Amino acid sequence: MRPWRLLPFACLRASENMAEDEAIFLLSRDRISAPTIRFYAWFAPAVSMGRFQRIDRDIELAACRKQSVDIVRRPTGGRAVFHEHDLTYAVVAREQCDGFPSDILGTYCIISRCLIRALAELGMEARMAEEGRKLPVTPAEAACFSMPSRYELLVRGRKICGSAQVRSHGSFLQHGSLLLAFDALRTGQLLRPHSEGRDQQIAHLRESVTSLSDEGATLPDMEALCRIMKTGFEVALGVRLEEGTLTPEEEALKERLLRDKYTNDQWNLRGRMDR
Amino acid sequence: MKVFPEDLLYSREHIWIRIDGDLATMGITDYAQENLGEAVSVELPEADSDVEQDEPFGTIESSAKGVVELISPLSGAVINVNEDISDDIGIINSDPHDTGWLIVVEMNDLDELDDLLDAKGYHDFIAREAESE
Repeated sequence: MRPWRLLPFACLRASENMAEDEAIFLLSRDRISAPTIRFYAWFAPAVSMGRFQRIDRDIELAACRKQSVDIVRRPTGGRAVFHEHDLTYAVVAREQCDGFPSDILGTYCIISRCLIRALAELGMEARMAEEGRKLPVTPAEAACFSMPSRYELLVRGRKICGSAQVRSHGSFLQHGSLLLAFDALRTGQLLRPHSEGRDQQIAHLRESVTSLSDEGATLPDMEALCRIMKTGFEVALGVRLEEGTLTPEEEALKERLLRDKYTNDQWNLRGRMDR
Repeated sequence: MKVFPEDLLYSREHIWIRIDGDLATMGITDYAQENLGEAVSVELPEADSDVEQDEPFGTIESSAKGVVELISPLSGAVINVNEDISDDIGIINSDPHDTGWLIVVEMNDLDELDDLLDAKGYHDFIAREAESE
């Protein structure tokens, strides 16, 4: 098994976080760069949308702008996540040579084991959701945390970490958001309800979502939390994470993606870029 | 064990190709749809656009919140896109090798076909993939 690279914790703008993750992912296909993990936060509150979500259907654009909430579209799938009090992770690795299977759910399962180890260190007993997300008859709810997918993490039956992936050329990028605290009202004001009204959406979020704070965990500072997460991945994957930095190629691609894609409304609001 | 139609060619990126002269119909293999899970969204190129070998020509998202890029095994001009998918995306899963086709490409370079596998070669390829996981 190849050694893994751990990038230092960073608190960046939404656009920069996504540009960095995608740069690592796109260059991982050359099989030269090591499998990589980042833990990070968001410099300003932000909504990250899933690759295929529609701004008009899923996001309260005016509310986001009024509250100075950044909007960014992820390269990964899934639904919208409001990032304010969370620790986000990004894992980039290759199928097979890094010990991951070629299917989406199998990869979730392996990474969820890492997170379960880390949460256990915080005194929390998390388990994986067993049932997959059902195909909705009506349009799906906009909020990622409104329903767990198979192998996503629950504490006392409530979702505490949501994840999503993109896969290409034998590599994958998995994003996940571990909630440190959760504000259902604020989240519900920023994401559009679909099959239910706003009040029902907020009530549903209150019932189905939890966070480390809600579970009574004593929150360590970010540095300590990242160390706990690091150990969780090392133990569950049986690898050693070595601290590293972006390569010059990754830095250059990150800058290009930041300029051309993640600060571009064509991508963030409409989800289309000229190929 | 999955059976892959003998009359198709296959890429290592799990795309099948049906050749008819210089036209190539493409879709994802049964193996790929199984790894993907239930398709819920798809983005395909427009007719008259170009695709390039080893570059993404579209993306599919599954209900498991995974987006998979579709890597083109061939270069050429897209001359047809399966519009039935917008009415019933489920055919990508239920009938991937036939009615779930994605695009038809007029090929630029027939030599690119040399990189593709026949049904047995693809079967052996995915067996090796499974062993190494």
